[in-house]
Amino acid sequence: MNIQIHREELLKQIGYKEPPQPRLLEMVDEVLGLLEELIEPKQAFKEIEDQKDLPPFLIGAVLKYTGAATLGPKFENKVKDLFDEGKPAEAYILDTAGSIAITKTGNLLWDEIRQDAAAKGFKKGLRRTPGCRGIEIETQQWIFERLADPELGITLTESCMMFPRKSLSFLARFGGKLKGTFSCKGCHQYTDCTLRG
Amino acid sequence: MERGNPEDKEMTVDIIKEIYDAVLEGNVDEASSRVQQALNSKVEVKEILNRGLIAAMDLVGEKFGEGELFIPQVLWSAKAMQGGMDLLKPHFSPTDRAEKGTVVIGTAKGDIHDIGKNLVAIMLEGSGFKVADLGVDVTPERFVEKAVEVKADVIAMSALLTTTMQSMGEVVSVIKAKKLPFKVIIGGAPVDQAFCQEIGADAYGMDAADGLRKVKGLLGR
Repeated sequence: MNIQIHREELLKQIGYKEPPQPRLLEMVDEVLGLLEELIEPKQAFKEIEDQKDLPPFLIGAVLKYTGAATLGPKFENKVKDLFDEGKPAEAYILDTAGSIAITKTGNLLWDEIRQDAAAKGFKKGLRRTPGCRGIEIETQQWIFERLADPELGITLTESCMMFPRKSLSFLARFGGKLKGTFSCKGCHQYTDCTLRG
Repeated sequence: MERGNPEDKEMTVDIIKEIYDAVLEGNVDEASSRVQQALNSKVEVKEILNRGLIAAMDLVGEKFGEGELFIPQVLWSAKAMQGGMDLLKPHFSPTDRAEKGTVVIGTAKGDIHDIGKNLVAIMLEGSGFKVADLGVDVTPERFVEKAVEVKADVIAMSALLTTTMQSMGEVVSVIKAKKLPFKVIIGGAPVDQAFCQEIGADAYGMDAADGLRKVKGLLGR
């Protein structure tokens, strides 16, 4: 899987609208060079059959999936090492690049799932991540029990956080009628949520 | 350095200005070298600290808040200030308070996302606070225990998820139940002022710079 991060998108994510000073550009380029060696993107998805303990978000869907992706442990360790070595700016820039990379990895995974669904006659689908929009964080356990792919290398903490941290997981549904509310609109932070962008 | 001599006074102003500029530009080596030069020239430690290091870092925080500077530059400045502080510390007199205050910091129980917490810790240290960093997934009991141990002024907690931010309220409850003197500041993506009020925390930091500003405000510094 080839995940490319461009200098401009990384600078934009950090906040720069104008090109920053040369020293920072050099650091960004160095970090992007590192990133290529550090990320080992992996992903997996699985179609889910109807079963008794379906998470509410999947109930009523005709076609159901779980999916997860990660950048792998090498990346995780490097961010920590940079902090420990007293290079917090590099650590922060690398972490930000990692956030972009995992988002792109997740989008590629979503493309694959949509292609699979399209081959089965479904064009439009929805995906939701545990821990937000009405999906309980404990749903992570359900997802990873079904994915059960040791190659993926994602483990869950007691509080259902994924490790490595630059990982993501979601439920996806196609067809059928969605029962219940799985939208941001009911949230008190709807208008100023930093996560919605 | 002789305080009465106009030439010496001018030299002091120059060195302080160089220290100030070095921190503002995040030039770590330059900041340390100028602080050492100032110490060698017998410039008052308080002057180096307040008019050089702290004044520059205050402006950095202001510029960050106004969107003129971004996190990497703030981190460079914090590191430059830290380097200068390390050189100054052995010269503080027994009556000088080397630190602005002590902050115990960590991510809320169950949360392992620590990038924001790390940034706040670095900025606090860079601004002259003593920081006891408990890392990630910190239980309410551990926060309070550490705060008691280091005689903290503030407990700072961050969370990335709505599921993990709830334990912040437990820390506030323990502090209130035990009538402990610690102020509590919270931050993180799902946290807001309304949640801060709901759990009875003392302040909410919208971002790292705001967090720093609020900690200073809580301690009146």
